[in-house]
Amino acid sequence: MEQVIGLLADIWFVLLGVILALYVVLDGFTLGVGMLTLFSPTEERRGILMGTLGSVWDANETWLVLLGGALFGAFPAAYALLLHALYIPVIIMLFGMILRAAAFEFREHAEAKRFWNLAFAMASLVIALAQGVALGTVLQGIPSVDGAYVGSVFDWARPFPLLVALGVVCGYGLLGAVYLILRTEGIIQTRARFAARLLAWLTFAVAVAVTVWTPFIYPQVATKWFSLPGFFLILPLPVAGFAAFLLLLRALARGHEAAPFVWTVVIFLASFGGLAVSLHPYIVPPSLTLTQAAASPATLIFMLTGIGMLLPVMMIYNGYQYLVFRGKVTVPGYHH
Amino acid sequence: MADTLLLARSQFALTALFHILWPVLTIGLSLFLVVNETLWIRSRDPDYYRHARFWSKLFILNFGVGVASGVPLEFEFGTNWAPFSAAMGDFFGNILGFEGAMAFMLEAGFLGIMLFGWRRVAPKIHLFATCMVALGASLSAFWIMVANSWMQTPAGGVMQHGRFVVTSYTQAMFNPAALWGVGHMWFACLETSLLVIGALSAWYIHKNRHPEFFLKSLKIAIAAAVLVAPLQIFLGDGSGRVVFEQQPAKGAAVEGHWRTNPPGTGAPWAVVAWPDKARQRNDWAITIPGVLSLLATHRLTGQVTGLKAFPPADQPPALPLLFYAFRLMVAIGFYVLALMLWSVWLWYRGELTAERVGRHRRWLLAWIGALPLGYLAVESGWIVREVGRQPWIVNGLMRTAAGVSALPPGTVLASLIGYALLYTLLLTAFLVFARRTLRKGPDVTAEPPPLKPAAPLQVNAPVPHALEDD
Repeated sequence: MEQVIGLLADIWFVLLGVILALYVVLDGFTLGVGMLTLFSPTEERRGILMGTLGSVWDANETWLVLLGGALFGAFPAAYALLLHALYIPVIIMLFGMILRAAAFEFREHAEAKRFWNLAFAMASLVIALAQGVALGTVLQGIPSVDGAYVGSVFDWARPFPLLVALGVVCGYGLLGAVYLILRTEGIIQTRARFAARLLAWLTFAVAVAVTVWTPFIYPQVATKWFSLPGFFLILPLPVAGFAAFLLLLRALARGHEAAPFVWTVVIFLASFGGLAVSLHPYIVPPSLTLTQAAASPATLIFMLTGIGMLLPVMMIYNGYQYLVFRGKVTVPGYHH
Repeated sequence: MADTLLLARSQFALTALFHILWPVLTIGLSLFLVVNETLWIRSRDPDYYRHARFWSKLFILNFGVGVASGVPLEFEFGTNWAPFSAAMGDFFGNILGFEGAMAFMLEAGFLGIMLFGWRRVAPKIHLFATCMVALGASLSAFWIMVANSWMQTPAGGVMQHGRFVVTSYTQAMFNPAALWGVGHMWFACLETSLLVIGALSAWYIHKNRHPEFFLKSLKIAIAAAVLVAPLQIFLGDGSGRVVFEQQPAKGAAVEGHWRTNPPGTGAPWAVVAWPDKARQRNDWAITIPGVLSLLATHRLTGQVTGLKAFPPADQPPALPLLFYAFRLMVAIGFYVLALMLWSVWLWYRGELTAERVGRHRRWLLAWIGALPLGYLAVESGWIVREVGRQPWIVNGLMRTAAGVSALPPGTVLASLIGYALLYTLLLTAFLVFARRTLRKGPDVTAEPPPLKPAAPLQVNAPVPHALEDD
């Protein structure tokens, strides 16, 4: 029985990881483009940037809603503890999402677009910051007694979570820039290439700093990283991440259009894998392991047959939507 | 803790009451778009295509606010109701997960094609995308009502170490309140949307703007609502009987019914009253003998438990609010039924033609005035359902006070104020832009895409802007 629960919990850990990875890549570039609109000199250029998101931004954000629901179902105790502990970053992220959705819709209708343009870009920045802060706060540890949070609502306001937030902002910006290289041409593409190079170096610098700092903040990680066989299990991930970083720089220098996006996604997946391997078997360090937080086996199986089976279907129709709207965006507006 | 509880409840009330305004229209309007697109493809009458294009402008504005206000709810259970989430997540969280996977994702995955794909995919594929958006919207109502009904009449599991563990998914999902609840809410969405579609069409006709065009949508609204309105009354009655059976304290509170009727007699029904919890009686009331038994049990002398059978700590709060919210909802239900009978009669008499409809000013005004009624009824209904469930968060299993996250009151107050400000902005902007869209009116000369595309679809080619009709 213990083994069954452990296996089911691991399966759901992987599935949640897949959903989170999809969210981070897809909404990551959406948020990145949102932040980059801050630097659009004209309404026409901003319109083209927004046009690359028009048909897909809602679906991209929806992966987070799915993540919330699946986490709630598969690991109710983790859902409860995390959201309670991260109250302020989560609420700020939600405020950002409310404003972003409204701004995206209303700027099309508004005659005076300045307010909504600014709201869209700032909301994107705020969401990215809040998500980064939340990740950093989880890594520095969520204290609890009997499953209830016992820390302060301001535990996130420390240097480590803020550094992680900076990294997430740079990373999302990078995703946005490489997405724009793929979907635009001309001056916008040239500027996106410049932004991508800058943000790649910034992301790399912050990622190194976070990686060096993490073992000091989170001792369990240190034992895992610097012991056998953990060391060799984890080693391929930073190596792959670093290789992808070099390939990204090369692809940018050579003017490739699709390769930068691919290598950036590889960097994200490698960091992601590193995070997942470091966390396991914890879902909320140091309070809850996967099995402690897991729902009953009946529920995990029920969800697996429903949501688990639907996951590939969701990917297919989301992919179809991307296919329908693929190609370069050359004029402003959402009809692309 | 008492402050935090009150603030968390206020925040949930605000976010839920605000959010529900939007999906009700999304659900009904997406089905209306399916109807129009189907009619267009079958009859080749371009007016139905133009209707689809016109109403989808309102749809997208409404959908945007719905998404904006819906995402917070997915997380609010954890942020503000952590003990509830940890204890009840085995069923409740799982159902929210299903909602995300089956409903929201389906909606979002086809929304882009539905809104912007008119020239990129063939009409039948477009219709399929619209169908998927409509299906996703309706499925979200299904799952959320299953989850909510389970909080009203929990079933299908046992409490173990303070945690609800599911033993039967069939029983938990199809708990006593579920099917009535799903039906009642889904019909509320249809009815509200039909009132909005009909009222706006009537407004254009009243202004003599494209009367012939808008008679088409008004007639669709009437044809559907004449079935929906009586069925909704039936479903409401069914939901009500489940309440008296399963949640007698809520039923008694809604009706201001204090004393259980002795065997062999019928319980009196208070038409109007002022229930007073402190004094455990109605301050005043106008009652009709025997009628409550009939309403609640469909039997002349059926027993209806009175509120006094429960200790005050187990009685719902805010009795006058429950009493009058319920009556408002019922009154609206019957008003709509009467309006539909009037409409059908005019239609039958041949009055619903472009030449003659303008003469029925009062009827058009009755329609226009009905625009907000569906929303009012939905809000009242949710107040009855949720305030009436108190003091329980999961009826009989967990008290609301035990389910709230231990947060500093100031933090919750700050987030509550933030929500209030943001939602004021959203509502104001929506009204401004919706008004602008409606004043601009439909494009009654828009040329639909060819129904039988001869050339193969070229998704790769950039679409010239002139082809894109905004």
